[in-house]
Amino acid sequence: MSILRYAIDRILQTIPVLIGVSLITFLFINALPGDVISALYADQALGEESIRALEERHGLNESFFERYLSFMAGILQGDLGYSIHYETSVTSLVLTRAGPTLMLTLSAFAFAIVTAIPLGAIAASRRNQSPDHLSRIVALFGVSTPSFWVGIMLIVIFAVTLGWLPSGGLVYPWRAPGHYGFDSQLELYVQTVQSLLLPMIALGTMQMAMLMRIERSEMVETLQRDYIQLARAYGVSERTILRKHAFREAQLPIITIVGLNISTALGGSVVIEQVFDINGIGKLLLSAIELRDFQVVTGITLVLAAIFVIGVVITDIAYAYIDPRITLDGGE
Amino acid sequence: MSSNPLLSVEGLTVQFFTDRGTVTAVNEISFEIQEEEIVGLVGESGAGKSVASMSLLRLINGPGRIVEGEIRYKDRTLFALEEGPDGEPRKREDMLSDEEMRTEIRGNEIAVIFQDPMESLNPVYTVGNQLQEFIKLNRDISKKEARSEAIRMLREVGISDAAERYEKYPHEFSGGMRQRVLIAMALACKPNLIIADEPTTALDVTIEGQILDLVQDLQEKYGTSFLWVTHDMGVVADICEQVNVMYLGNIVEQAPVDDIFYNTKHLYTDALLDSMPRPDRTVERLKAIKGVMPSAIDPPEGCPFHTRCPDARQVCEQTHPDLRDVSDDANIIHRSACLKHDIFNVNYEGSLPMTDETKRQANTSAGTTSVNETGADR
Amino acid sequence: MATNEAQVEQDETAVSGQEVGLSHQLKQIKRDITARIGLYIVVLVTFVAGFSWFDANLGTITFGYVSDYTLAQAAPLLEHPERLPPPTDMNAHAPPAFVEGGTWEHPLGTDHEGRDYLSRIVYGTRISVMVGFAATAIGLVGGVAIGATAGYYGGRVDDLLMRFVEIIFAIPALVLIIVFTEFVSGGNPDIQYAVAGAGIASIPIFSRIMRSRVLSVREMEYIEAARSAGVKDRHIIIRHVIPNSFASVLVYATLQVGVVILLVASLSFLGYGAQPPTPDWGQMLSYAHGQMHSNPWMSVFPGLAILVTIMGFNLLGDGLQDALNPRIDN
Repeated sequence: MSILRYAIDRILQTIPVLIGVSLITFLFINALPGDVISALYADQALGEESIRALEERHGLNESFFERYLSFMAGILQGDLGYSIHYETSVTSLVLTRAGPTLMLTLSAFAFAIVTAIPLGAIAASRRNQSPDHLSRIVALFGVSTPSFWVGIMLIVIFAVTLGWLPSGGLVYPWRAPGHYGFDSQLELYVQTVQSLLLPMIALGTMQMAMLMRIERSEMVETLQRDYIQLARAYGVSERTILRKHAFREAQLPIITIVGLNISTALGGSVVIEQVFDINGIGKLLLSAIELRDFQVVTGITLVLAAIFVIGVVITDIAYAYIDPRITLDGGE
Repeated sequence: MSSNPLLSVEGLTVQFFTDRGTVTAVNEISFEIQEEEIVGLVGESGAGKSVASMSLLRLINGPGRIVEGEIRYKDRTLFALEEGPDGEPRKREDMLSDEEMRTEIRGNEIAVIFQDPMESLNPVYTVGNQLQEFIKLNRDISKKEARSEAIRMLREVGISDAAERYEKYPHEFSGGMRQRVLIAMALACKPNLIIADEPTTALDVTIEGQILDLVQDLQEKYGTSFLWVTHDMGVVADICEQVNVMYLGNIVEQAPVDDIFYNTKHLYTDALLDSMPRPDRTVERLKAIKGVMPSAIDPPEGCPFHTRCPDARQVCEQTHPDLRDVSDDANIIHRSACLKHDIFNVNYEGSLPMTDETKRQANTSAGTTSVNETGADR
Repeated sequence: MATNEAQVEQDETAVSGQEVGLSHQLKQIKRDITARIGLYIVVLVTFVAGFSWFDANLGTITFGYVSDYTLAQAAPLLEHPERLPPPTDMNAHAPPAFVEGGTWEHPLGTDHEGRDYLSRIVYGTRISVMVGFAATAIGLVGGVAIGATAGYYGGRVDDLLMRFVEIIFAIPALVLIIVFTEFVSGGNPDIQYAVAGAGIASIPIFSRIMRSRVLSVREMEYIEAARSAGVKDRHIIIRHVIPNSFASVLVYATLQVGVVILLVASLSFLGYGAQPPTPDWGQMLSYAHGQMHSNPWMSVFPGLAILVTIMGFNLLGDGLQDALNPRIDN
């Protein structure tokens, strides 16, 4: 019955999935052509000897299975391996690059939720009237437009043409203002928001559109329930019906969808980081692939899968917590 | 009857404007409800009972609209139209505004109980939360008073440890218990009229009996009038004083309950009665009503029941009977819409009987889709 | 009361049953204006794709403007980039006709090698449509096979297959495809690898839908009857279970075409899909991204082309879904 117990159960269920992910990526990456040594020292003519020495140092001469086992042993201690190119541990590499990616994806979700829920609810309550048609058109465009193109268009309009906002890069709020040559903490925050605005919208538009459609259809369905008609029959105003009676049940599916969309958003941030030149995990992944730094690629893939899987677990728990009909024992 | 009824309905017509044409769900019906009286509205599903009852609160949404008629409650006009200067009908001046309907009529004067107790309570709020909200809203009392009133009413409808149950969610109640909650909700708002839309249909027979007993007790205690919508003649016999039988949007028979049962004046009512088990009659087997109710989109010409009527004559296909008093007793008003009765004077006896063949044709041409009126209320 | 009409509709579906699912859907589509627009877009885009294919093979002219490279010509050039002719500078980066300095000879201007932009966008239609259909087909076949098997046999088989699907689903599709492309292509990414990857990334959605459909179909009486009559499992799955689930899978397939076009465009944008000089929309945007400041118009049209194409499939898919499940909108 306790939430904790339920949470632990759900987390344990994710372990086979994560092992599967690690195995698959490890397999892929290790079969990739070209190796990191020659990619790294492409400009130097290395002798057989020194190549072998380097391989030995990085454990590249061991068998696939041995390497996988030692990789997994490392993971259990929070060690994602060693990046040969960056000459640092993958864990610390991922941690330093996680900030911008999290900033981007979380703000994109916030933007999507804050806009989609009221718009979807209004559309549902004014079904087949102009607000509804408008929101449906917006949602349709949203789900049909590639986020990277939205990003490019936003840059062309707001950065290049109007010059209102920066065309790329992120200002990190955790840095000292002096790092960017700003005078005050406030200026730093203002710049952070300004630099985040366009990538956030670019990444969040599709999420917004998806959530808006679901919000609308859930709300339409909820508004047709008997208990809504009953509330009307007891003289409850339409406003209260929308805000109190219909709202809560209609939000339950949204929670699930947000959880499932974490994966899409993380994938999307790879592209958006490229468009806006943001040094996040996505950019790290692309350059690691280019450099054949397979430890980094495996580490990132695993981290992204873990974020998604844990995100789904968290939304499951949140759902169970909010919906009184679900008891945590498993039965109804 | 009495010159001053609690509620009176005159020529109420409700239509749904759909892609496939106009559906007349309720066709010029008239009836009255006296103070402290339980009035039945009976018919098969699709007859328009629920639409008719919800239109009393003006709660018809979407493609549906009240297009004609007058609804009066006490000295107030819930609905009335008049002809505007452009010849188009417009709202009459004395008709209550939407806001007045909401704040002054719904809940505090006329409350409702729905068919499905499982669906009538919001699953994500506690029962107490919902009771308290509606009571507070309709009786204009504080939250705290609403709470104690709610708990008192829960006790009144037979829910033990009411204070504890008050904090529970609907899914923690059984169907019968939920229906008791909804009855408590209705009564706690102190209305003079409760519309009960098939409130016991979703329950099993023993629970149904308990609920009916409860309603009768409370009705006597509080003196509330009821409009009891049902398809079950057994329930009607149990609790109603006055009965209206509906078929395809029309009231086809209207009489005090005893006259409906023992002096039936419409063949549809007859058929309904034949399809129910009765303690006063022994039959080999119960008869189901032949055929299905025609589509409300394309209703049959003439008498709406002629496609299924065992005694239909050709005149029934041509003349639409209105509701007329056919009572032999001057003290009783017993109305029926059947051309068989002399008062219609259409030479029924001289008309040729309709064959099964002609009836079948009429039936198929009318189609078999029905506007499901319980679905329509959701 | 709002569902009044839906109710009527539902009654009718109940009467006519699922067997006529597809024709019923098509009838609904005729009545639904937005779905009809979607259908028109899909037909138009497919037609343009087919037309330019025909055209490319004959090496003739499209809309009066020659494209320097067709896909067939481009393939050998890719392996020997040094054989690419030098850029024709004089004509490069000509602006669209409606911008100052543009001419109607090149309505949407030219790219950095002086190639007509409109022609390239028209050619791009073929690539996108092919990508959409091919990747969806891979996902559909793989997903239906996995889902049907998992749902029909249940137990261990189900567990194993669905775990596998979950693993694929847990990796962000884009990341999965990039890693896959690198793995399969031996470090020389190209569009066909991206399509295969997008197909694999589409397997989870189809297998889930198929599995849940199978679970409900499996319990039906006629399946029971077939099984007790000794009909082989494989036969039951192929002859009864899959056709019965076809309608709902088709709806998702339509929507998935849009999704994979979007995915592959993103890949091409990142350099893991179509390679220059292939006139692929995502690849064109990749170049245009570097031209945001000097030639912003270059970014506009390939993106619009993607938008319209995907919108067509989305509208059609939504319409099919509404027709299949009239509960929400009527």
